[in-house]
Amino acid sequence: MATTASPARTIFRRPASTTGLWGWLTTADHKKIGIMYGYTAFVFFLLGGIEALLLRVQLAVPENTFLSAAEYNAMFTMHGTTMIFLFVMPASAAFFNYLLPLMIGARDVAYPRMNAVSFWIFLFGGLFLYSSFFFGTTDAPIGGNLAEEVGRLGSLPNGGWFGYAPNSGARFSTGTVMDYWAIGLQILGVASLISAINFIVTIFNMRAKGMTMLRMPVFVWMTFVVAFLLLFSLPIIAVALFMITFDRQFGTLFFDATAGGDPILWQHFFWLFGHPEVYILILPAMGIVSEVLPTFSRKPLFGYPAVVFAGAAIGFMGFGVWAHHMFSSGVTPITQAAFGLSTMAIAIPTGIKIFNWLGTIWGGRIKLNTPMLFAIGFVAMFVIGGLSGVTHSIVPADWQQTDTYYIVAHFHYVLFGGAIFGLFSGMYYWFPKLTGRMYNERLGKLHFWVFFVGFNLTFGPMHWLGLNGMVRRTWVYAEEAGLGPWNMAVTVGAFIIALGVLIFMFNWSWSRRRGPVAGMDPWDARTLEWTIPSPSPEHNFGVAPVVTALDDFWAKKYDSDHEGRAVRRSSADAMIAEMEQTGLNPPAPIHLPAPSYYPILVGAGIPFVGYGIIYHTSPFGIPLIVIGMLVIVGSFIGWGVEPLEEVHDDHDDDHDELPPSADGRAGESNADGTVETDGDEEDA
Amino acid sequence: MADHEHIPHPTPRQYVQIAVLLAVLTAVEVGLFYLEEGVEQIGTSITAPALIVLAFIKFAIVVGYYMHIRYEKPLVSRFFATGFIAALVLYAAVILAMLFSSNIL
Amino acid sequence: MADIAHADAHHDEHESTGIDSRKLGMWVFLSSEFFFFGALISNYMLFKGRDFAYETIMPRELYDIPFTSISSFVLLMSSLTMVLAHNALAEGDQNRTRTWLLATAMLGMVFIGGQYFEFTEFILEGMTLTSNPAASAFFMLTGFHGGHVFLGIVMLLSLYGISRRNGQLSEAQGLNLELVGLYWHFVDIIWIVIFTIVYLIP
Repeated sequence: MATTASPARTIFRRPASTTGLWGWLTTADHKKIGIMYGYTAFVFFLLGGIEALLLRVQLAVPENTFLSAAEYNAMFTMHGTTMIFLFVMPASAAFFNYLLPLMIGARDVAYPRMNAVSFWIFLFGGLFLYSSFFFGTTDAPIGGNLAEEVGRLGSLPNGGWFGYAPNSGARFSTGTVMDYWAIGLQILGVASLISAINFIVTIFNMRAKGMTMLRMPVFVWMTFVVAFLLLFSLPIIAVALFMITFDRQFGTLFFDATAGGDPILWQHFFWLFGHPEVYILILPAMGIVSEVLPTFSRKPLFGYPAVVFAGAAIGFMGFGVWAHHMFSSGVTPITQAAFGLSTMAIAIPTGIKIFNWLGTIWGGRIKLNTPMLFAIGFVAMFVIGGLSGVTHSIVPADWQQTDTYYIVAHFHYVLFGGAIFGLFSGMYYWFPKLTGRMYNERLGKLHFWVFFVGFNLTFGPMHWLGLNGMVRRTWVYAEEAGLGPWNMAVTVGAFIIALGVLIFMFNWSWSRRRGPVAGMDPWDARTLEWTIPSPSPEHNFGVAPVVTALDDFWAKKYDSDHEGRAVRRSSADAMIAEMEQTGLNPPAPIHLPAPSYYPILVGAGIPFVGYGIIYHTSPFGIPLIVIGMLVIVGSFIGWGVEPLEEVHDDHDDDHDELPPSADGRAGESNADGTVETDGDEEDA
Repeated sequence: MADHEHIPHPTPRQYVQIAVLLAVLTAVEVGLFYLEEGVEQIGTSITAPALIVLAFIKFAIVVGYYMHIRYEKPLVSRFFATGFIAALVLYAAVILAMLFSSNIL
Repeated sequence: MADIAHADAHHDEHESTGIDSRKLGMWVFLSSEFFFFGALISNYMLFKGRDFAYETIMPRELYDIPFTSISSFVLLMSSLTMVLAHNALAEGDQNRTRTWLLATAMLGMVFIGGQYFEFTEFILEGMTLTSNPAASAFFMLTGFHGGHVFLGIVMLLSLYGISRRNGQLSEAQGLNLELVGLYWHFVDIIWIVIFTIVYLIP
């Protein structure tokens, strides 16, 4: 295959550089893609954070005029949309990308270039969504000051992250801002769907020898569950977004109640996606915590199979609870009872996980490094958020609290106290693997405590603000309501969180260059990514690992004495030194996916189509769609004739030792690929 | 598992026979449609389930023989069946919830 | 689809399940498509029986069952020609492979042409995308299905073009043919469901 591809057959000359800017733009390396996901997500995190601060300044005092109603609507919409779709999801994808192949002992994901496509589509989708700031148009909301200019800030999408119809439909949302929202999310969904397929196939097919499903780290298991949730929930939101786009652009009547359409259908489709989505946000953090807690407690994870199956059960049951978001939307008593019960039931697997984490810490020799602090913070805050959440399965309580700040408090305890604490735990934990250096522990701990205090000051008082009747999504509240003092406290808390983020950014950028060299296995950890040098070499593993146990690396380092305590083997240090040598100097040449221009081109073509649809009635609408499609199709054609890897000249003389697979697919499948060839691999 | 691997794929002749069967099933479907239109006594309570069963048989034949799922490893059919059944159950639930809310409330 | 990276990037590794990665990926993708079409079909089912408070034409009043039966039959037979193309390639008969590929694409085009004719008729008789939610749902469901068929035709013709240009389909492209085949059959089974639920059951 590789030998048949001469440069003349490709549209562009193959990118040769793997360093510098072009190296990043054309890479197919899962680690680089993971890093790009991480940094992009963090930039969006800062944007979403700034939006949150603007909201909090507006709400700090009663009857404030800092933001107009239009701007406030845009800010809370973009804060939610950004944090969910542009921060937590891609930040989780960053961890998946970087760690998944390392943890299962693979060289890369199953489709390296598709992986790059996912990232670029995500990036251009995010930029498309935010380009509404420059191009979007809308009118001031009813109830606000109609004479007021909407302004640039108000020209961001403004229908809430849930985009409820008919508020987001053509009749009540004029202008184009919600088109940017609907099409932007559609593009982001494509990116997530591609990466979900990629991760599922990677986990099915790319595991190292001996890495059976029940020897995979919990983080990999949670990745697997998340990929399934994405796979089955994204098509639903895709249809819903197509419907709202058609309603807005082409005059269909799905959500127009005056024409017999049904806005409740939007709520069903949205939450059919939206509830699995909240597990998509939290399960990666649960996976991270399940790696961090055993490492810093110096004990194996308590009840590994229970944690895995509880994670799978959460994923499965996550599809059966969506209507609990709709208790106040006119669903019948039967529906309310059924979804109330299923909501109570989903607390069971979540509880199993909590107790397993506590069991892991119990009796361990705990080291309170920054990742561990964040992980413990995760467990504690997530329990608070989970408890305030499960009370809403009691339907009358939900009626009382829905659309108040009590709900805002609840989901920030699970998504900030949960998901984001978990993500920060992971960022500190894998920082040495990423950079080869150690972060500053004092600053890390300071970051945690600032975060912890700021977080609780921000979201704790929201519980009683909500119970006292403060409603969500409203830009002012009356002086007489008596909500002012606690709102001021909340705003102060929000700025304390911002301070924590600044400490983190300083620590990260300083330690990345000047931190002490960390070494290969600074945490004395358990999983495969710690068996390779830090920072991870481009080829991941010098020799493909063979796994014989759960927590294989730990089992190779430690024996247990007659009381079951871990005793470090005398050979452990020598083994690690040898691993580092093998990792740095692989004994046999390794072929890696070569860089390619096409993934970024595919991603760049997509926004053209999006703009073309929004402006399809104008003279440049159709040409934009055609240009976008040509770029996409042309890139795929170029891609189709470009082999995944090039034959490297410097490796030519090594080719004899490599089986024919260097040139073709020999031994893998014949033309129909199904019948005769697979038998011997069955027991692997 | 091993059994699956030794079943040879159908021959072109068998593929054509399968297509004839599919065509006949389609003809029966259309026939049922006209039966229900033309004959008063036969209501949709009979034809609708029959049509669904026929569609499912056609579905299974195409997936089993043309998509060769019978000859794949069980993982593939489990996966595909999971997707199909999960979608079926989920959307049945949505339709029920929607119909209830419009009839009762 | 001819573009998914090859699993042989990783010489010293194996496929843990024994199923080719690209094929497994296609199956994974197709199982998510159930949810896509499931949403579109449910959408139509929810609106098809509603009474709208204004004068309008429902899709049911316009169906031309003999016509749609024939185009359904055409799509069903394209599955036969697709599997025959696959079979011919497995037997190494490149000419026969090309013939059947082209036949499949042609049958697909006949189906799309039929859909174009059907849409035009409906619009002439006064039912458009914006007539009522049931009509919107009908056009959206069958339109997205038609879009899938169109994409399939493009992929079939690309395979045909590659085969004509190179004189043959290599082993790697043989897998592409199988993947396109899976996609094509899937689009066919979705139509089996649509034909029954949308057209035949009142």
